[in-house]
Amino acid sequence: MSRKIIVCRCEDVTLEDIRGAIERGYRDIEEVKRYTGLGTGPCQGRECMCHCAVLIAQRTGQPVGSVPPFTTRPPLTSSALKHFVLPTGARDAAPAAPARRGGADAK
Amino acid sequence: MDRRIYDGTRRRYVRGARVPIDFEGELYPAFEGEPLAVALFASGVQVLSRSSKYHRPRTFFCLSGSCGSCLMRVDGLPNMKSCRSPAHAGCRCSRQNAFPSARFDVFAAADWIFPHGMDHHTLATSSRLMNEVMKKIVRQLGGLGQLPVAPPAAMPGARRRHVDIAVVGAGPAGMAAAAAAAEGGAQVLCLDEGDLPGGSLHSHPEFGSEEAARRAAELRDRGVEIAARAAVVGYFPPDSRRSEPTLAVVTEAGLVELTADRYVYACGSHDQNALFEDNDLPGVLSARAVGLLAVRYGVRPAERAVILGGGPYARALAQELLTTGVEARVIDGIGERPVLARGSSWIEALDYVDLKGKVKRAKCDLCAVAALPAPASELPRQHGARVVLDERCGGFAVVGDRHGRTTATHAYACGDCTGFVGPARAAAEGQVAGLSAALDLRESPPLRRRRDQAAEALGVTP
Repeated sequence: MSRKIIVCRCEDVTLEDIRGAIERGYRDIEEVKRYTGLGTGPCQGRECMCHCAVLIAQRTGQPVGSVPPFTTRPPLTSSALKHFVLPTGARDAAPAAPARRGGADAK
Repeated sequence: MDRRIYDGTRRRYVRGARVPIDFEGELYPAFEGEPLAVALFASGVQVLSRSSKYHRPRTFFCLSGSCGSCLMRVDGLPNMKSCRSPAHAGCRCSRQNAFPSARFDVFAAADWIFPHGMDHHTLATSSRLMNEVMKKIVRQLGGLGQLPVAPPAAMPGARRRHVDIAVVGAGPAGMAAAAAAAEGGAQVLCLDEGDLPGGSLHSHPEFGSEEAARRAAELRDRGVEIAARAAVVGYFPPDSRRSEPTLAVVTEAGLVELTADRYVYACGSHDQNALFEDNDLPGVLSARAVGLLAVRYGVRPAERAVILGGGPYARALAQELLTTGVEARVIDGIGERPVLARGSSWIEALDYVDLKGKVKRAKCDLCAVAALPAPASELPRQHGARVVLDERCGGFAVVGDRHGRTTATHAYACGDCTGFVGPARAAAEGQVAGLSAALDLRESPPLRRRRDQAAEALGVTP
């Protein structure tokens, strides 16, 4: 292995990557997440988010308590898709899905 | 090789029947219900997976479903957490994302080609042709695992359920909260992702699985329903489909849309790694994972271990390892700091800076990281509870008042998700939060007095 300090184990994001992102001007935790891919793997930031947040505070001089976490969304743990579809046999009888808000439908 | 402890004079290990498991075409010994990650570790398997970008060797880190580094293909399904997949008769598992094999993976060359990391923003943009070639290769490599060969036999569908009080997490805090909530006469459901209630008790030498079982039995006697292997995967606010806030719970029997009059979050904490070179090398495990191996599963974790951390848990674990015949040494991480893990597919030594600033080398076959765990505050956050980053709490801790009430409607929090507190204080906090939730539903002067006394005692002992 070549020597690396891994902060985000899921996406192989190193301490150097995060420092580099902050130096390029990405100073918000959501920006660092999008720029480096940190926290976008199977664990969804459980292992890396706090390290990253503290690093941002240190490098930008913000008080630690003012750095927010990145948004959390369901599902919290990897779950089989079969749990989120209608049961076998019920699909044909089901009413049409309600209209989506936002996204492609929000014209 | 079998690292399991069989004499069981100090602890009683609960093991199922012997069921050999098929790991990449070879049979390995396992006990029914034992997580695959544990069974393979006990047989000396070192690499369970390869990392996504640099194909670095990986094995489990937390052994409790938090990290993503033990994902394997199990019974034809990709990306299964091998720490949460129980061994059973006819079980087949294999490693994924490596070619030709996870033991020797040619794509690990990426690690050497990009010693300073791979910045995909500037990667291969010099030549248009090269760019096209790179894109083709990367698209082949991208993603985790291969899709299942067959669809599931049946879609289980969802059912709805309502309880008075839902307690998320059956660790020390959740069990105490559920017990207290039930005292007010409420119908209480206590949910946990793990196969057994107990949470961090199972990894703690001073409590252990027998204490977890005792508390769970007591809880059931009080009329509390405990649902194990029930993962709360999200909070959904009321919308056009549901009039009440709903928790989505994935169980073996299918999805449960759970509503409750009050929610108590006792979600615990996620193990954190320390930052030093090659800190992801297999053999660098979280201290609680090592505790689980030694205390719950009866597996000797190492011959010679280094424990990183200066807290009470690091000391308790060192003591436990010493009594199981493991040579254990503590590096507190403050005076002495780790700098580099050495080894190719498993740790062989840890380089650290000593008190005088000199780099020393500690030979070891295990590095147990006892860093402050991060509060598992994701679910309360989805519910709308305010969290704040506090390094002394280990991360983003749920903000609560002295009675365990969060800033979200009808939501309480206790234990490590409000900032790491350890099992004893977690239970005390759980009692306060559980009583508060019960009092919210039904006033009772004696319960209120007990709640206020318990809250006051918490305020005095930090």
